[in-house]
Amino acid sequence: MSEAGQRPPSRAQIESRLEQMLWSGEMDRRRFLGRSAGAVAMTSGLATFLSACGIAGTAEKNVAELAKIAATVNHPKVPIGDWVFANWPLYIDKAVLKEFDEQYGGKVKYVEEINDNNEFYGKVRPQLTAGKTIGRDIVVLTDPMAARWVRSSFVTPIDKRNIPNGVKYLTDPLKSPPFDPERLFTLPWQSGSLGLGYDIKATGRELKSMDEFFNPEWKGKVTMLQDVLDTVTAVLVGDGVDPRTAGMDGYLGGIEKVDKAAKAGQFRRFTGNDYATDLTKGNIVLALAFSGDMVQLQADNPNLRFAYPEEGAVLWTDNMMLPAKVEHPYAAETMMNFVYEPEVAAKIAAYVNYIPPVKGVREIIAKTDPDLANNPLVFPPDEQQKKFYPYGQFSSPQRQVLDKAFARVTGG
Amino acid sequence: MLKNRQRLIPWYFALPGLLWLIIFFGIPLINQANVSLMTGDPEAGYEFTWAFSNYTEAIKEYWPQIERSLIYAFAATIICLTIGFPLAYFIAYKAGKWKGFLLLMVVLPFFMSQVLRTVSWQLLLTDNGWIVGQLRSLGILADDGRILATSTAVIGGIAYNFLPFMVLPLYASLERLDRRLIEAATDLYASRAVAFRKVTVPLATPGIFAGSLLVFIPATGDFINAALLGSSKQYMVGNVIQTNFLTILDYPTAAALSFLLIGIILVGITIYSALLGTKNLTEAAG
Repeated sequence: MSEAGQRPPSRAQIESRLEQMLWSGEMDRRRFLGRSAGAVAMTSGLATFLSACGIAGTAEKNVAELAKIAATVNHPKVPIGDWVFANWPLYIDKAVLKEFDEQYGGKVKYVEEINDNNEFYGKVRPQLTAGKTIGRDIVVLTDPMAARWVRSSFVTPIDKRNIPNGVKYLTDPLKSPPFDPERLFTLPWQSGSLGLGYDIKATGRELKSMDEFFNPEWKGKVTMLQDVLDTVTAVLVGDGVDPRTAGMDGYLGGIEKVDKAAKAGQFRRFTGNDYATDLTKGNIVLALAFSGDMVQLQADNPNLRFAYPEEGAVLWTDNMMLPAKVEHPYAAETMMNFVYEPEVAAKIAAYVNYIPPVKGVREIIAKTDPDLANNPLVFPPDEQQKKFYPYGQFSSPQRQVLDKAFARVTGG
Repeated sequence: MLKNRQRLIPWYFALPGLLWLIIFFGIPLINQANVSLMTGDPEAGYEFTWAFSNYTEAIKEYWPQIERSLIYAFAATIICLTIGFPLAYFIAYKAGKWKGFLLLMVVLPFFMSQVLRTVSWQLLLTDNGWIVGQLRSLGILADDGRILATSTAVIGGIAYNFLPFMVLPLYASLERLDRRLIEAATDLYASRAVAFRKVTVPLATPGIFAGSLLVFIPATGDFINAALLGSSKQYMVGNVIQTNFLTILDYPTAAALSFLLIGIILVGITIYSALLGTKNLTEAAG
């Protein structure tokens, strides 16, 4: 939910429409505005004008084509200068940014502007489809959205020569996601899981199963997430369905299940990150929650618990990417390399409490904070790793169908 | 020649305003009218196809939210009028040297972002908070009752956020009301109540009219209160438009919904001004 979010798409459209109107030879301004043009001419002129402009689509490319583009990438070393890093709120220890500036020069403008993958995409999409820079040098987006950007060529390939640490220290399970099997365009920022976030004082017992979200005992005191992939993937895994093979039918079935419970008044709200307020204030007892958030919230309220659902949990990864037409690729890649130094990654992990994608972090943290090193939410044990599932993969039109169907459930 | 130039002078004065209107209102409006008649999907892009079906489908799919927006906005307008009229009356006639201070207090909430003000209500109205606790112990709310995520919270939030838009025009019309008319009415043996009903209220009509419009129109399109104080069951047409624009990327449906909203409001205002008299409309504007 963002108030300012509505403006940018239409403004860019207005600008381009304005340019077209004023400068294109096809449409002469006087005919459009002039009084002398009769009503008939006016209408037909308007019709020609209107049908001449559409909204550009996003032709998607396959992996082989993308690899070809990536092969030619070359980002030579240049002074760092002023550059922009767009990330989610509370997702870095800001001391790391200061260290980076001191060590490499230049000035990073770090903006915590991404609150929701879809909303951020909605904001910058017009510039991306128009082939213009979006004015950010690194953006951090979650797997399905990252996949969409890669497929649509909204990204600039990474010059791996500038990121030796990324090559060396990226953890094995993250090396080859289906949307970018060689990590030519994306590099993980943090991973995390979805599970049961609850207040044990209010529930009176430990909760372990995804079934609890549909348990009438908690009627009206449960929240789920607004994003269709978050909620429905978690529900499907809870029902023993593998989201990788569930397909559209599986997901639409999952949406139906959530819809039925929603109509019966099971859920208080569908939220973004703001479920945290409802949970800490006692408005709800159970939330579909992000693992790292819960570690942070526990610091304030020791009654809060996070549990991986016993049926299995969704594991997602947020990815750093260089947007298309990026202006400062070398600065961005230098930062990527910097945050893949295990010492720096340990500092970030200790602050954000998500699962670090960098090898060797646990050993470094164990020296100073053994509790954190043994926290299963930050360093999931092997048996838990086996029960992690990714989101299902969908094309943009399929995704629109799912978004629309789920929006009907969440009321938006 | 000279005469011609003289005639054009007022137009030169209007030029900045006209340009502003064309660039920031006219063109976006035409653009969105254009978008509202497109078909397609985000991947293939959207093409202009005179798709009037976007409108009928938007009505079919989102009528509950449209209806809800109108009801909520209407309820909030009535609340604002009920609270705003006595307040404006008091400030105009009884506040004395406190007048300026009280007007400042009315406007003061605008110094803070609407989102922040609404979020603070979210914190005040929590289920375990003091307010809900008191209402429960007074028996106004059931023991497991709540305020957040109900229509009460959303309507209350809208009324709270838009109250100054009602108070200020009401104050302006009450303030400039010629008090000798009230005196004259009482001289002619009208009781104070009758004088209020027959003189004060009719003369304040332009303020009532302007205030109701200033509250009702933005309230209909509001989405912040429903998003923060409500749940999916309270979502209004503004929420639907936002989701369609930013999440689903279904620009035509979002644009069609916006125009439907404009259309409905225009029809509503026309009826309203016909009831209150067109004279009041111009007076209120002037």
